[in-house]
Amino acid sequence: MKSKNLYNTIRHLLVLIAVSVSAFSCTERIDIDLDEGFTRLVVDGIITTDTMAHTVKLTTTSSYFYAEAAPTVSGAIVTLNDGETETTLTETGPGVYQTAPDFYGIPGRTYKLNINLASPIGGFSNYSAESLMNPGLTLDSINSVFHEDWGSDGFYELKCYALDPPTTDFYMFKVYKNGTLLSDSLNKVFITDDRFYNGNYTNGIGVGYLNQSKTNEKVIPGDQLTIESARITESYYQFVTQLQIQSGFQTPLFSGPPANISGNISNGAIGFFAAYPVTYSNTIAQP
Amino acid sequence: MKPLLILFFTLILLATNPLHALPDPDETGGKRFTISGNIKDKQTGEELIGATIYIREIKTGTTTNVYGFYSISLNPGQYNILYSFVGYASVEKSIELKENQTLNIDLQTREQQLKEVVITGERPDENIRKPEMSVIKMDIKSINKIPALMGEVDIIKAIQMLPGVQSTSEGSSGFSVRGGSPDQNLILLDEAIVYNASHLLGFFSVFNNDAIKDVTLYKGDIPASSGGRLSSLLDIRMKDGNQKNFSAAGGISTISSRLTLEGPLDKDRTSFLVAGRRTYVDLFLPFAKNKDIRDNILYFYDFNAKINHRVNDRNRIFLSGYFGRDIFSNDFARMSLGNQTGTFRWNHLFSQKLFSNFTLIHSMYDYQLGTPEGNANSFLWKSKMQNQSVKGDFTWYANPNNTIRFGAAAIVHTFDPGIAKGTGDESLFTEYKLPLNYAIEYGLYLSNEQKVNDKLLIKYGVRLSAFQNIGRATVYNYDKDYNAIDSTIYSKGEIFNTWHALEPRLGANYMISTTQSVKASYSRTVQYVHLAQNSTAGTPLDLWFPSSPNVKPQKADQFAIGYFKNLKDNTIETSAEVYYKLMYDVIDFKDNAELLLNPKLEGELRIGKGRSYGLELMVKKNNGKLNGWISYTWSATRRKIEGINNGQSYRAPYEKPHNISVILNYEFTERSSLSANWVYATGAPVTFPTGRAVIGNVIVPIYSDRNAYRLPDYHRLDLSYTLKEKNKKNRKWQGEWNFSVYNAYGRKNAWAINFTQEQDNPLTTYAEKTYLFSIIPAITYNFKF
Repeated sequence: MKSKNLYNTIRHLLVLIAVSVSAFSCTERIDIDLDEGFTRLVVDGIITTDTMAHTVKLTTTSSYFYAEAAPTVSGAIVTLNDGETETTLTETGPGVYQTAPDFYGIPGRTYKLNINLASPIGGFSNYSAESLMNPGLTLDSINSVFHEDWGSDGFYELKCYALDPPTTDFYMFKVYKNGTLLSDSLNKVFITDDRFYNGNYTNGIGVGYLNQSKTNEKVIPGDQLTIESARITESYYQFVTQLQIQSGFQTPLFSGPPANISGNISNGAIGFFAAYPVTYSNTIAQP
Repeated sequence: MKPLLILFFTLILLATNPLHALPDPDETGGKRFTISGNIKDKQTGEELIGATIYIREIKTGTTTNVYGFYSISLNPGQYNILYSFVGYASVEKSIELKENQTLNIDLQTREQQLKEVVITGERPDENIRKPEMSVIKMDIKSINKIPALMGEVDIIKAIQMLPGVQSTSEGSSGFSVRGGSPDQNLILLDEAIVYNASHLLGFFSVFNNDAIKDVTLYKGDIPASSGGRLSSLLDIRMKDGNQKNFSAAGGISTISSRLTLEGPLDKDRTSFLVAGRRTYVDLFLPFAKNKDIRDNILYFYDFNAKINHRVNDRNRIFLSGYFGRDIFSNDFARMSLGNQTGTFRWNHLFSQKLFSNFTLIHSMYDYQLGTPEGNANSFLWKSKMQNQSVKGDFTWYANPNNTIRFGAAAIVHTFDPGIAKGTGDESLFTEYKLPLNYAIEYGLYLSNEQKVNDKLLIKYGVRLSAFQNIGRATVYNYDKDYNAIDSTIYSKGEIFNTWHALEPRLGANYMISTTQSVKASYSRTVQYVHLAQNSTAGTPLDLWFPSSPNVKPQKADQFAIGYFKNLKDNTIETSAEVYYKLMYDVIDFKDNAELLLNPKLEGELRIGKGRSYGLELMVKKNNGKLNGWISYTWSATRRKIEGINNGQSYRAPYEKPHNISVILNYEFTERSSLSANWVYATGAPVTFPTGRAVIGNVIVPIYSDRNAYRLPDYHRLDLSYTLKEKNKKNRKWQGEWNFSVYNAYGRKNAWAINFTQEQDNPLTTYAEKTYLFSIIPAITYNFKF
């Protein structure tokens, strides 16, 4: 059905197989007492080549059953350094730190994020991270194909046409419909490495899937579909992979022991500061 | 190690050299004569494994080996010899020993015997007398009585109810012995390694009960003749085939059908057995509510075949094999997997005192996973693991007080971790192939079972094992942080790495009286091939990998001591054993490990120490209207591995401290019986979130220490009722109905616990339990003719 790269395809198949085979299985909501771990800083920051106000969000961890938005961290001094200039981000909302609206990332530069908290969290006041912005990759084109027999109402598949460079590369794809971002959370983005087509022309490999059973993903012929493609770093690729696994369904058959996802922030903070170039490709949905 | 070896060989020389031999009680100085032969089932001609031969006059004896052969050398004289075997009527022979004699004995089962002459024999008390401990021999008839999931009688599920053995997960065929991992069990079917003993993701095992003769589990005191795995040896022997008459046995159950045919091709010389089985779970899938499940194809089948031929009194040959396959397919996935084994054996008697067996073995496990053709993402992934081995085993029945075993083996391993490629014209995936790995494993052993005096029996042996990696190979070199820095390429046939180890195996039995004994054992085991498996329940996607310059062999030292007592004329056996096991260079996997299709797999491994200890209690009643066993195990297993759980000690995945099994069988009449089993185990260790973070609009769990929590306790009751059809005279057909209920009180045992978000209120997270089975009834009809 919905598949990602080969490795993810396999992983996805395994979950489906586990679910299918355990045809007798049932689920039930249960109460469990969980201890509360110590509070840690959570950093969620992204810089791209788009010209816009880029955001670094600072929050903290909470107890697992805390049924509200994550507690925000205000009053921090957040700076960004690309080796030539240093910018200080402005707190535009509680825990939301932004660059100026005319900011854009430059490929080839390494961005350093520095955070000075007003009061320490997890024993530290200073946190930092750095991320290299890769050169961009422009897709030749994309198109969409409707698969009627996938799932109950069919899927629209977005196929991409591009030449993969001979280096080991990692990509992330997001889907927009008529300008609205559908891949609005990290577990909906599509990531892949080039292990199975390194250096080749990706002659229509699927990079986005729209489930026609879901109202917001429903496509009407004539809709404009957009793919945002990003050439990400290996460590961000691994971070997103781990995030997708750890926040997804786990079965004793195919899942390893649960593990914490590993980010790139210093001093034991959770999260990631990522910098990547983005390009956009459009297509009009065909019937 | 050298002084130990010298001591060891001196002991054996002393024990067997006639000049220094320990004096026999009635030593006459004259020449000894040998009595040897085979012990068989009278009705089928099937050799009996582990039948006892007891010489009343000298209060000692021996047991038959796995080919039903025995040999004992005595001074000339008058002897009364008692032949006995569990479930069979004993036979006593009176002989005058003046020359070497061959004495083949046919024993009758109690059932057969009831109709004829009644001889009351002594009940075997082998459990008290043998120097081996931590060994359990399962009798196929009692396994058949245990209520089974969907009526499918299963050896592995029976094994999981023994003290010291844990199932890895609900309904799984994986098992953990004394804190070990499932890949630390050496499972042999007619001496061939069975890599994956599971069918249908583990809900059934690959062993068809109708084709099996004998099942023995060694939980620690593994004989020197076997090696290569850390925790246990499960030795399964197929039937040889009825030597007397053509016969058939089979069954039809709710989910499967099976048929076994056996008979003589040349009476008392050549016989054969073929057995087949196929499930039809998929016939029921169209009734499933979920559309995706309805279209699934899901079944397995397997065949066992064996032929044996007695060339003459000194030579016998056997050829046996197993082939099984699981098939799963639906709209989006295809999976197929299975084991195959083949064994050729030649028994040769060099003399009445020197028994030998030569074996050639092939075994393989392979699987493939893919998607239907016709898409850009269509692919097929294949992986395979196989070995060919050659073995020679010798038993020298030196004198009544010493039985010496020695032999050698070589196994050629071929690991094919995988090839993945696109399928069909539309597929865009290029071929991705991981290189094959080759290795040879050697074993050389010598052991002696020695009767020191009437009270003390000792067993000592040593196994010298070695393992060589052979090119062509690419070996990555890793830095301290497990990142591959460069690689070394070895050419074809080049031996680029050798590991070796000396594995002492010691045991002693002190008989306090005729009904009680104390036993102790020490064994070292070494494992050179390992399973990259990260899941708790065990998956079919097994990936075995060899020890290498980067991966040391796993080693274990196990110490055990036990007290054994039989009550009520040996009808009730009780035992208490404690063990302490240290494991070195134990393998686990780093957090978020990527095991599949990863050429740098070795960088995902983390290596450290393990420790397990426990107490195992068991009461067993073999005969009578009410029979069965009750066992209780208390155990603890910890691992301490750099790079996992911040280097802190953590619970091993199958550590379930309290474990109770009750297996009871009550025979109302000769025709009807009721069986019940109840199992209880502390919930398996799990890792739960102790916090959460929000990143990219996703709620990400922050986990506790590894295995810091437990699933809810597990318990389950199964029942089965067997009704035999009336036995009509002159009719060969014997049928029986079996009605069973798995999980009779419908306990919703947790298989997994997931943490999810509410659909309508995504900020609310909650725990959700997945359970596999509620009450599952089944009907089976078994027949024999």
